[in-house]
Amino acid sequence: MVKTDTHIEEQIRAIFSGDTPWVTIVWDDPVNLMTYVTYVLMELFGYSKEKAHELMMKVHTEGKAVVSTGSREEMEHDVARLHEYGLWATLQRGDQAL
Amino acid sequence: MTSEGFKRHGSNSYVAEFAENEREILINLAEQIIELLAERVDHGHEDPLAAMVGITTHDAPPEDEVLHRLLPNAYQDQADSAEFRRYTESTLRNKKQAHAMAMRMYLKSAQDGTVDLDHDSANAWLGAINDMRLALGVRLNVQERTNDELELLAPDDPLRGVYIVYGWLGWLQEGLVAALMDEG
Repeated sequence: MVKTDTHIEEQIRAIFSGDTPWVTIVWDDPVNLMTYVTYVLMELFGYSKEKAHELMMKVHTEGKAVVSTGSREEMEHDVARLHEYGLWATLQRGDQAL
Repeated sequence: MTSEGFKRHGSNSYVAEFAENEREILINLAEQIIELLAERVDHGHEDPLAAMVGITTHDAPPEDEVLHRLLPNAYQDQADSAEFRRYTESTLRNKKQAHAMAMRMYLKSAQDGTVDLDHDSANAWLGAINDMRLALGVRLNVQERTNDELELLAPDDPLRGVYIVYGWLGWLQEGLVAALMDEG
C-alpha cells in the first residue's frame, strides 16, 4: 500500500473545498509616495498607522508585500479598490510563490 | 507656484488656496484624465444587457501606456486578468473619472481659488492627483530614470515643465495626506 502524504491530501482537500486563501499583493512603484501608500492602506483596510507603515516599508524595501488575505472574491474586491487609488496591486492563490 | 497646500480646518474640513495659474493647471489635468479614460469606450457592444451591468468588450489591457498604468492587470496570469477586466474595467474607469470630475467641479466653482474639502472629497482628490502623477510619470519615464537624472533636465527640455508639475502634484498630495492624518 502506498502511504499518502497527509500534507498533499490536506492541500487537495483545501483546493476542492475552496479553503485555500488568496492574497492581495501591492508592488513597489516609483510614482506613489510613501505617505500616500500608508494612508491608502489605513483608509481601505482600517489598519493602524503602525501596521500600514510597516507594510508600506516592506513594499518599498522588498519590492512587494501581501496586504490582505481571504477568499478569491474578497481579494478581487481589495485589488479593485487599490486600483481605484492608483496602487499597483494583483491577487493570486496564497500557495503560489510570490 | 504660490499655494501653501492643504491645511486641516476643524474636524472634517481641508482647505487650500490656489493661485489662478495653479487652478488652471489642475483643471486642465483633470480634464485630460477624464478625456483619456473616455477614449477607452466600449464600442460595438453586441449585448446591451451586458453593457448595462458593466461588462465591457475589453479583455486586453490598453495599448496606450498611460491608460495601461491607470487600468492595470489584476492578475499576473493573462487569462485570469482578461476575465477580471471584462467584468470590472468599466467600473474602475467610472470611479477614476468621478474622482477627476469631483476635483474639476471644486476648482471650477472656487472663483476665489479657495477649496474646502470634506473627508470623502479629499479622498477623491487624492485619487485624482495620483492618476495625474501616474500619467505624467509615464511621460517622464520614471520607471527608468532616477530622480537625479530628472533634476538635471535642461531648462529648455520640454520635459522640464512636466517634471515641475509632477513634483508639485506630489507636494500637494503629501500635504493633503498629512492634513488627513493629523488627528490634533
